[in-house]
Amino acid sequence: MSLGELAAYVCTHLHENDIHCVLTGGACVSIYTENRYESFDLDFIENMASKRKDIMNALSQIGFYEENRYFKHKDSKYFIEFPKGPLAVGQEPVREPNVIKFNTGQLILLSPTDSVKDRLAAYYHWDDKQCLDQAIMLAENHTIDIDEIQRWSEQEGKLSEFNFIKEKLLHKK
Amino acid sequence: MLEPLFGSINRERVLLFLYSRDEGYAREIARFYKTDLSQIQKQLERLEIGNIIYSKIIGKTRVYSLNPRYPFLIELQSLLEKVLTFYPLDELEKLTHSRKRPRRKGKPL
Repeated sequence: MSLGELAAYVCTHLHENDIHCVLTGGACVSIYTENRYESFDLDFIENMASKRKDIMNALSQIGFYEENRYFKHKDSKYFIEFPKGPLAVGQEPVREPNVIKFNTGQLILLSPTDSVKDRLAAYYHWDDKQCLDQAIMLAENHTIDIDEIQRWSEQEGKLSEFNFIKEKLLHKK
Repeated sequence: MLEPLFGSINRERVLLFLYSRDEGYAREIARFYKTDLSQIQKQLERLEIGNIIYSKIIGKTRVYSLNPRYPFLIELQSLLEKVLTFYPLDELEKLTHSRKRPRRKGKPL
């Protein structure tokens, strides 16, 4: 099972158990770049927090077990984490996640534009250059709303940083 | 002051320390408040799991800061700022006036 197929399978199963969550982080980049960037962790953020026990019960039904706050499966190299919400990119809530259908189920994840913001938040605030590379990679593969990213960057107090990388996001060397 | 809200005096201390000094490590915070190291470590761990703070390794030390990506950071900072206005002045000075300028290795003072 690919990362996307597994994420869709897990997301659908959790949804059926009344646990509503959205895939975020590097796994979204992996899916949008068709694995040019490879992630092994699936970070799901819940819309409304559930009890840990409910998540554990739902995931154990499909063979996952918990180890150090991560959920693992003996047949998979991928692992699942539930970072604490709320679902946000920087200081703003995520209002319109994307939905992708796989043969294993339906995956709810950050849109390409929000995923770029998510990676840029790590670059802006933690100076993580790998995340900038991921944002650029994603922007090469998908249409993103550059004006919206500019507005958001300004809101984050990072307009000058955005202006510095804007050309890269537009694939201009 | 915010113990009823935060559920723990040490959680309040950790947040106030990191807000006032921008960063800190467990032993430093425990020493400042003359409290048990393991209790501070526990609160740091919980706050990090909650994405309210983050850490990085500097040398052999794990150094913590408030997480700039925490969506309620501005509101949390406002709350902590307000709490500091209620702090006794001598305590406030100790908390906020730590030496930050460099000290050359081998300097006697």
